[in-house]
Amino acid sequence: MNKSAKEGRGHPADDGRGVIKVGMSSCGIAAGAGEVFEALTKEAKGRGLNLEIKKCGCVGSCYAEPLVEVRLPCLPTVLYSRVNKEIALRILDEHIVNKRLLNDLIIDLPMKR
Amino acid sequence: MSTTPTIILIKDTRLAGVDTTRDVQNVFEKCLKEAGIESHVQAVRAADMGVYERGVVVKLLPQNVFYGNVKDEDVSLIVNKTLKKGELVEHLALRNLPSQVRVVLRNCGVINPESMEEYIQEKGYEGLRKCLLHLTPAQVIDEMKKSGLRGRGGAGFPTWMKWNLARSSVAEQKYVICNGDEGDPGAYMDRSVLEGDPHSVIEGMIIAGYAIGASKGFFYIRAEYPLAVERIHLAIKQAYEGGFLGQNILGTKFSFDLDVRLGAGAFVCGEETALMASIEGKRGTPRPRPPFPTQAGLWEKPTIINNVETLANVPVIFQRGGDWFSAIGTEKSKGTKVFAITGKVKNSGLVEIPMGITMREIVYGIGGGAADGKKVLAVQTGGPSGGVIPESHFDTPVSYEHLQELGSIMGSGGMIVMDEDDCMIDIVKFYLGFCVEESCGKCAPCRIGGYQMLKLLEKISEGNGTDQDVASIKRIAKAMQKASLCALGQTAPNPVLSTLRYFEDEYKQHIGDKKCRAGKCGKLLQYRIMPDKCKKCRLCQLKCPSNAVVGDKEKGYEVVQAKCVKCGVCYEVCKFEAVERI
Ligand SMILES: Cc1cc2nc3c(=O)[nH]c(=O)nc-3n(C[C@H](O)[C@H](O)[C@H](O)COP(=O)(O)O)c2cc1C
Repeated sequence: MNKSAKEGRGHPADDGRGVIKVGMSSCGIAAGAGEVFEALTKEAKGRGLNLEIKKCGCVGSCYAEPLVEVRLPCLPTVLYSRVNKEIALRILDEHIVNKRLLNDLIIDLPMKR
Repeated sequence: MSTTPTIILIKDTRLAGVDTTRDVQNVFEKCLKEAGIESHVQAVRAADMGVYERGVVVKLLPQNVFYGNVKDEDVSLIVNKTLKKGELVEHLALRNLPSQVRVVLRNCGVINPESMEEYIQEKGYEGLRKCLLHLTPAQVIDEMKKSGLRGRGGAGFPTWMKWNLARSSVAEQKYVICNGDEGDPGAYMDRSVLEGDPHSVIEGMIIAGYAIGASKGFFYIRAEYPLAVERIHLAIKQAYEGGFLGQNILGTKFSFDLDVRLGAGAFVCGEETALMASIEGKRGTPRPRPPFPTQAGLWEKPTIINNVETLANVPVIFQRGGDWFSAIGTEKSKGTKVFAITGKVKNSGLVEIPMGITMREIVYGIGGGAADGKKVLAVQTGGPSGGVIPESHFDTPVSYEHLQELGSIMGSGGMIVMDEDDCMIDIVKFYLGFCVEESCGKCAPCRIGGYQMLKLLEKISEGNGTDQDVASIKRIAKAMQKASLCALGQTAPNPVLSTLRYFEDEYKQHIGDKKCRAGKCGKLLQYRIMPDKCKKCRLCQLKCPSNAVVGDKEKGYEVVQAKCVKCGVCYEVCKFEAVERI
């Protein structure tokens, strides 16, 4: 079993690429996840970033939607809450490019699988 | 020290007082610099760490070390001990926190629900493979029995027993139905599972089909869930392509087909016999049982009908074993339960908890307590069929038995948190009004009883109630419980009865004192202008729709109670807070 499946976090980036996941169930979409997904896809391309950007279901923290998970090979995985278009771009510039995490947005809930 | 860079998440979790998160972050940054590891470790302010009232909480990733009540002087200790030497700072470590356990929601938010490959990577369809290739249908049911799984659709009927009954019914054709009608106000667990992990429900259905000897299954999903319907359709198509549905599944003799039917939004169509009538193209009304669906169900054939969440548990039971599953939970309530927690709670959303943790852990530990620092009064569980659980009983474990003892039910999993601004009679009127609206009208106890009970409650909330009305409510409630055709009518009195049990004082206040503590029952309110605060601006008089404000600039103004329609406009427009609401 591969490492990230063991961590229970879904499809890994086999080729070492970063992965961004956007919660795209009804609650996320209602909170604006569609716009965030679009902005991330478009702007990552515009910046020439080699990323996999994909949809996932709802983790349950509906009050904090839209939720965006960022998984980079060189950093622990984190989940950003209440992401909008502007924050999405900051995630690309600060987290993905500069490897600096954003303040006041990460949620991390105790959870066993 | 590990080579993956470390993240230090920081959050001041006190609900009151000045937020010191930023200060602690500064101390960490300084300390990291002094230790010369600032390029390898980032100190970040978090938004929510799922822990409350534990002072400043710090979590190290990827080490997964959790510290609470961290003071400035502890920072260097954490940096020098944990970060540099990999040792735990014992006295700060947080242990035994109320934690969610993800069984049903194991893949929700993790995999792409539109990709079967990702489901398979998370061991999807392994359970089915095991059943089809290594177990007989009887052994499948044995494993289900071992797991102790009970239905999550409301009644908590043992799933293995239902399957076994259907298996023993002899017939050429049998059916499996997934109940995705989910009509309880405030509940949306099933929608999340259908949207976030559709294959797990499909896999559960195929295993059920194999166990009882059915070759055909139906999803019944309410049409208000378009995204769920879309994802289920896509997942079914993928499962056919992957050889998990259709003829000779995984090369065995077992064949199974799946179809989708949409519900048109009637709550009663979630009831199993009404649901089957609806699939048959008839009017969706319940019929008396027996015969039970396992004997004569859809088109008179043996049928099992299971809830979405029930079915989503099934694949895991076969992946990890019935014993693994039954190790979670209490003696009679096994596994986890997903709740949709809403209302006056800080973190509304879905929580999945092991059966047996307390209501307090759910509301305060996971939900973060009341939304605006108010006092939590009670939690309503089980939707319109359930009841309220007062704060004084929050230490009761959440399980089928315990909730029932308290006069509520597990139900499908809606959980509505109420605070001091909520009026019990107002809440009960809402739920009963829902049942009256959704009653199919077929049987008299539900159709007439519900309506009459609602009228009595309205009378009480308008200040015209008598003690006799409470007695009548109790009498009607008993008749509905005993004589209604289906559980809609049988359980509709539950919210009234449970509030009468725990909040009788509130009924007394409404009836005797003509008062509503929460200010929710408009007709019981009185608006009064306080002369000492009134600046005689006359705005209230101008805005009052019923000319109930009389007076002039000289004498001042007052509200004539007989004319007042209690709309509250005067209260809202006054710029000097000179209108009081009592
Ligand atoms: C009025 C009414 C509405 C119901 N709605 C639902 C529903 O939306 N979803 C559901 O799974 N069960 C619902 N039920 C319960 C079903 O009749 C049935 O018990 C359940 O689907 C069985 O599944 P389980 O054994 O997996 O719990 C409802 C029952 C009544 C009386």
